[in-house]
Amino acid sequence: MLLKRLLLGIAGVGLGIGLMASSALAANLRVLAWDGYADADWVKEFTAETGIGVDVVFIGSDDEIWAKIKGSEGQDFDVFAVNTAQLQRYIKADLVTPIDLSKLPNQKDTLPRFRDITKVSGDTKDGKVYGIPFCFDSIGLIYDTDKVKPAPTSMSVLWDPAYKGKVLAYDNGEHNFSFTALTLGYKDPFNLSAEQMAAVKAKLVELKGNVLSFYTTADEAQQIYQNNDVALIWANYGQQQVKALQKIGAHVAYINQSEGALAWLDNWVISKGVRDKDAAEKWIDFMLSKKVSGALSERTGFGNTVVESSSAGSNDKLVWLNNVEDPTKRSDLWNEIKAAP
Amino acid sequence: MKSAGLARPVAIRWSPLVTALAFALPVVFVLVPLAIFLVYSFFSVDQGQIVYVPTLANYLRFFTDPVFLPVFWRTIVLCLSVAVISILLAYPTAYFLTTLRGRWRYALLMLLMVPLLMSYVIKIYAIRSILGLNGFLNKALVGLGILAEPSTLFVFNMNAILLTLTLLLIPFAILPIFLALERIPQVLLRASDDLGASSLQTFLRITLPLSMPGVASAASFVFVLAIGDFLTPQMVGGISGFTFGRILYSQFGTAYNWPFGAALSVALAVVVIVAILLGERFGRNRGASL
Repeated sequence: MLLKRLLLGIAGVGLGIGLMASSALAANLRVLAWDGYADADWVKEFTAETGIGVDVVFIGSDDEIWAKIKGSEGQDFDVFAVNTAQLQRYIKADLVTPIDLSKLPNQKDTLPRFRDITKVSGDTKDGKVYGIPFCFDSIGLIYDTDKVKPAPTSMSVLWDPAYKGKVLAYDNGEHNFSFTALTLGYKDPFNLSAEQMAAVKAKLVELKGNVLSFYTTADEAQQIYQNNDVALIWANYGQQQVKALQKIGAHVAYINQSEGALAWLDNWVISKGVRDKDAAEKWIDFMLSKKVSGALSERTGFGNTVVESSSAGSNDKLVWLNNVEDPTKRSDLWNEIKAAP
Repeated sequence: MKSAGLARPVAIRWSPLVTALAFALPVVFVLVPLAIFLVYSFFSVDQGQIVYVPTLANYLRFFTDPVFLPVFWRTIVLCLSVAVISILLAYPTAYFLTTLRGRWRYALLMLLMVPLLMSYVIKIYAIRSILGLNGFLNKALVGLGILAEPSTLFVFNMNAILLTLTLLLIPFAILPIFLALERIPQVLLRASDDLGASSLQTFLRITLPLSMPGVASAASFVFVLAIGDFLTPQMVGGISGFTFGRILYSQFGTAYNWPFGAALSVALAVVVIVAILLGERFGRNRGASL
């Protein structure tokens, strides 16, 4: 009896190894993604469903994606994740392949704001779709529900003298210029004219009077919140930051400003050197399933493009981050603002 | 005899190599990087790309732009204050240590050096939770009835940087002063006593002048370490505590303007070199007269 079980076991293991070897021999789909975008259980399910093996490589920064894709002229990966601000650079360098939406049945069931991809700035060029929105988060406003009443709707609350010395702002010129431009009602916060730039600068110098400190990391903001009288936090880290604060018992809530909140949006993209475009499109479609997208939000706290999440209500106005007109100029002006008395 | 005779040619054969290495290491790892830095400060940036054409624009900008010089001077004053306060606190401490006998002296000295074993960032975080508006310091002062309500005097401003840097750097002031004090020959003090000097006279005429080299090196140590720091101002400086280190740091991170950052570093390096030279000059002068 025991011997039989043992033999069966050995046979099973042998069969397993054989299967693994065969799936490795067939060309696997090569995926480059951020941690959390291709969890092991999803990969396993995808392979079980489609019979396509998957090799995932995780990356840690935008520069790293560029280095890997540009370095091999798109030959080393089939499908990868990149944000809207970055995507145009890849299109210009001819490193990506247009995607056939008819191969993505799940795309029709995405949330309204993502359904018509031509309306998502940065994802298309010359009528061709290059990026499929997958994961996003807004950069909104965290407010202390005990101290800020009634609930704010606009970032202009940051300038309210009632909260002097109780505002935590983020130490980054680029984003601060963009959100202030939105608050001032400018249409394109990423391309400011010289006049607009000067107006935004003056407005930010004014903001300084209300600010307790500028933070850089989420846990830094959290520590300052705990040891000081903070009412409002400009939330560069969005939902992650809200959840961390709620976990330590802070009475905080989150809004996306009515003038439009800045938000980053990651997309699935197919590389120029894709070996099996069909397989790559199957992967993207699988990622857009309710199950995977829902799980993504549950696990990471980021918003997904299929199921409603706390990153943004269906009526919230989001402005996808884009490259700014002159990063060096913004950084210089930001130093001037910080040095201003 | 024979073996010594054999060893010598080997030593001679190897010694030029050792000499070359001794010179090459500092050249390769110190001088060359510094030279590259200096060269970079004469380049410029256009649309995020470094332009390798020599220009004086970076230095011109440093001297003419109304942003940089005020922050530069303010930072120097801040770091001088840190050095002065550190010495005022470290001198009595070091003096007290030298009055101790035997193993207590070194045990206590080691205890004062223990904070140096701790991560810098952790120390800043700890200090920040002490200084906050609801931090330990304010809570204690309010609890003891000294303050009616929490004070913002040490919350995210220049004072906070001053206090934090002093706290972080004080071990670097204690050590050289302690060593200078310890080197003073006891016979001099006893002779002074025998000749009828009061202990205050002995301290002012003998101990203090002879310990000045230690004070000078302590001051230059603390000043140099303080002026190179950007993390402390970043983390406790808030909106008013904007220092030169923070500007410099931003040139490498968000601005991608390495040439200008290099030029700013050169300006800082000049100050640091002057501080070190001054420290050494005063340190050696007094020491030589011993």
